[in-house]
Amino acid sequence: MRGARASLAGGATGGRARATLLVLLLLAVVAGVSAVNPAFLAWGNLGELLARSAPVIIVGCGMTFVVLTGEIDISVGSLLGLLAALMGVLASPQHLGWPTAAVAAATLAAGAAAGLINGLLVTVGRVPSIIATLAMLTILRGGTEFVMAGRWITDLPPGLRELGTGRWLGVPWCLWAAGGVAGLSLLVARRTAAGLKVYAVGGSEEAATLARVSVGRVKLAAFTMTGLLTGVAALVSVPQQSVVESGIGVGFELVVVTAVVVGGTAIRGGTGGIVGTVAAALLLGSIRTALVFLDLGEAATYWERAIQGAFILAAVLADHVAAARRPGPARAIGAMP
Amino acid sequence: MNRLRGLAHEGVIALLLAGVMGYAAWAEPGFAAASTQLELATHAFELALLALPMTFIIIAGGIDLSVGSTMALSAVVLGLLHRAGVPVAVGMLAAVIVGGAAGAVNGWFVSRARIHPLIVTLSTMALYRGLAEGISLGRPVSGFPEGFQQVAAGSIANVPTPVVMLIVAAVIAWLVLSRGVAGLWVYTIGGNEMAARYCGVPVERVQRWLYTASGLAAGWAGVMFAARRNTAKADIGAGIELEVITAVVLGGVSIFGGRGTILGTVLGVALIHELREFVSWHWSRDELILVVIGVILVASVLLNNLASRRRG
Repeated sequence: MRGARASLAGGATGGRARATLLVLLLLAVVAGVSAVNPAFLAWGNLGELLARSAPVIIVGCGMTFVVLTGEIDISVGSLLGLLAALMGVLASPQHLGWPTAAVAAATLAAGAAAGLINGLLVTVGRVPSIIATLAMLTILRGGTEFVMAGRWITDLPPGLRELGTGRWLGVPWCLWAAGGVAGLSLLVARRTAAGLKVYAVGGSEEAATLARVSVGRVKLAAFTMTGLLTGVAALVSVPQQSVVESGIGVGFELVVVTAVVVGGTAIRGGTGGIVGTVAAALLLGSIRTALVFLDLGEAATYWERAIQGAFILAAVLADHVAAARRPGPARAIGAMP
Repeated sequence: MNRLRGLAHEGVIALLLAGVMGYAAWAEPGFAAASTQLELATHAFELALLALPMTFIIIAGGIDLSVGSTMALSAVVLGLLHRAGVPVAVGMLAAVIVGGAAGAVNGWFVSRARIHPLIVTLSTMALYRGLAEGISLGRPVSGFPEGFQQVAAGSIANVPTPVVMLIVAAVIAWLVLSRGVAGLWVYTIGGNEMAARYCGVPVERVQRWLYTASGLAAGWAGVMFAARRNTAKADIGAGIELEVITAVVLGGVSIFGGRGTILGTVLGVALIHELREFVSWHWSRDELILVVIGVILVASVLLNNLASRRRG
């Protein structure tokens, strides 16, 4: 167990410096933009900014655990699309017309099942996770297009729409969900044996095995959790719009992986954490709003993705510079995700 | 031994391909006709061209997720230069150079900064797509001259020009990978990068060249896409990187590096292409083809694992 604890300590310090940096950057962006345009700080605007980042935060928490174990899941965007289609078909009175509670249960169950399949392919089937989830990405997208068959579902019942547009104590449901998921994930990562096992597996699978940690079971749990959380994200984000179409979630997996990586979780596993992921998701989500509020003209918004990309590269390069200053090997060689 | 195992995989993919084509010839003789096949092959140009450098990169233990974005950036550069009145030939050259430069940036980050290629190209995937959106303000450019469109629509001895280009590119890739010292370097780096360094393989130079070549190919793919559709827009090539990787892995290239052949990649591309074209020809509904491709991909890796476990 000593190996596991050592790797946990290393993991926590590695991720914490980055998380602090990101939180400071986020505060700097908020302060800078609101100095130019105080309307940026209006509660409505901040709420909208948070709401847009909510699905990335929710799925990003699960993805953080997957990446911490040294694996990756690029099927979450397609899964979000399939779950949206499923919700639409189950809930719409024109189709099956299920009650909202049943739709929610089915969505969560389907999400967890897809995550479980990913986990089984990786652990039992020994398929590299990037290949297994690439195949799932293709399969689930095909399933979505088959279910939707080019139609749009426009008659989501009010009960379901409430999940996307409703509020409790003045705060939208998606923010409650994002806050709850982030809080629980943080608790699991820092305060439970399960969290310790995740860092141990990512630090060294051999050491973890010697410490009687079941590597397969930990990975299986991480993948299933990510699937389940994709279900949660679908429940609070899809009903925000009145239309369900087959393009929902395209490219979402890359946004989530980007948030995790920019958040300081090492792609080889073992170091990083939830705080970094949440801060990175908020920071990446705030760039668009910041561009609008800086009032640089309509053209500025087209540069959003370029700024995001430059940002990510800068974060990655900063890591490289920091690693080059530390003694010891800059990176392990021969290991792939 | 490695080579034999690779060829066994290629045999399975070749059999699958033969099965698909056999059924197609029986069910739709018009589809299997040579003229139809040559015409349809032009649809696979970008996928097939990008799969060749991707094969090298994955064998060398890397990955390039930015090829679709590079395609878009090159096409947009070509379009904007055309709108600014620059001759199309100069625009084409500029587009390919931009692609090569984009690839060289990836290569620098991977080889000099030694950052994981998945992270590097995930970042530049966003960056290059973003640059394409930024400089074009998301608007399409169309109305290229007739002569430019002929680059993609012309033919040499009744074979469409894009198909001729693909054949030439595949033969060159095959020669480089299997007949020269450069190919040996690529396999050695993918097998064990540290060992390759100790053996005197110029690891950094090889990596730089691989990503630059991938960028050049993406630049040319962007040019050809613009010529075929007569339009250049920042959203072209979205998602093609995953399709390319699927084809390459389906062809038996190991995602861990060190294993794979150009023949395998050609078969993988052909299988995906023929499945897709045949299903949309025969049933005119092609959603389920994605499911089939995904299942074949995962099944091929599972079978490989099973076979290697039995051998011990």
